[in-house]
Amino acid sequence: MAKSMLLVCRQSPWSGSGAREALDIALAGGAFDLPVSLLFLDDGVLQLATAQQAAAVQQKDLSANLRALPMFGVDELYVDQRSLDARGLSAEALDLPVTPLDDAALRTLLDRFDLLVTL
Amino acid sequence: MKFAIALFAPPHAPSSRRALRFAEAALAGGHQIVRLFFYQDGVHNASTNPVTPQDELDLPAAWRELVERHSLDAVVCIAAALRRGVLDEGEAQRYQRSASVAAPWELSGLGQLHEAAQLADRLVCFGGP
Amino acid sequence: MTTLHLLSHSPVGDDRFDSCLRLLGSRDGVLLTGDATYALRGDSLPARELAALPKGFPLFALDEDLHARGLSAPAHCTVVDYPGFVELCGRFDKVNGWL
Repeated sequence: MAKSMLLVCRQSPWSGSGAREALDIALAGGAFDLPVSLLFLDDGVLQLATAQQAAAVQQKDLSANLRALPMFGVDELYVDQRSLDARGLSAEALDLPVTPLDDAALRTLLDRFDLLVTL
Repeated sequence: MKFAIALFAPPHAPSSRRALRFAEAALAGGHQIVRLFFYQDGVHNASTNPVTPQDELDLPAAWRELVERHSLDAVVCIAAALRRGVLDEGEAQRYQRSASVAAPWELSGLGQLHEAAQLADRLVCFGGP
Repeated sequence: MTTLHLLSHSPVGDDRFDSCLRLLGSRDGVLLTGDATYALRGDSLPARELAALPKGFPLFALDEDLHARGLSAPAHCTVVDYPGFVELCGRFDKVNGWL
């Protein structure tokens, strides 16, 4: 059976190509039918904020890549509740349907994957 | 034990040297490296362009030496490399640029990272400072 | 599955150290490399947080990074060299580098 990977995305969408290149790992894994899931942590939760206007700084819209995840079979998406709270974001008002988890649930989540990649 | 080693940081980042020393120690300990995969700014480690001062460690040269000495499978992410101007002869011709990476390195896709992670007993990623 | 967490960023002014400690599993371990070894410095806040981990928690630091910074490891931290680093990766089920 294929090993499962949890990609932990920690970068704001405005910190350079890091957030996009992290998502590319997930999309590539999905394209090969590998079990890849995502966790948004720390500034990575900012990728999920609504009303972002990438064109204002001549960037491509990251939300298109995020919305493509389920089409690539990457449909387990999680977010750290504490990171949301610290940044004034609510799990009910995000750009993408994601599952908010508390610390205990996150520990269980990290435990169950075969591979962790934190970017 | 079979290792997949992924490097995300440029040659001047301490984590590049750490990855190199780790790879050397793994091989010296009788372990196998199924693949080196360079992603994000790590692609610069495969470039022949960095000019390192003579009294400093030349990481791209050290990587090349390690890869050649142990005939390692060494892959550079093609999308990350193109974005950063690290091109092999074929890509250089296609985009009318100069080439700065050649064998033993191979430009290929992110699928190679996943394949290596699947084949190895451990995936170890290096990056940051 | 147990995880060996690799830290290389400074524990001060960066989220990685705090997030890593907050999400540690009960059987996980931490290897401090690079500027993360500053977490072992004297009476610092990160050093106190590490000292507060459960007794016997698998805490490691890379020898060359300690030496480079003029640091020494407290009794609850095991110093490893590169062969030790490689061996540690096999001792845990997976390795999570906090890039």
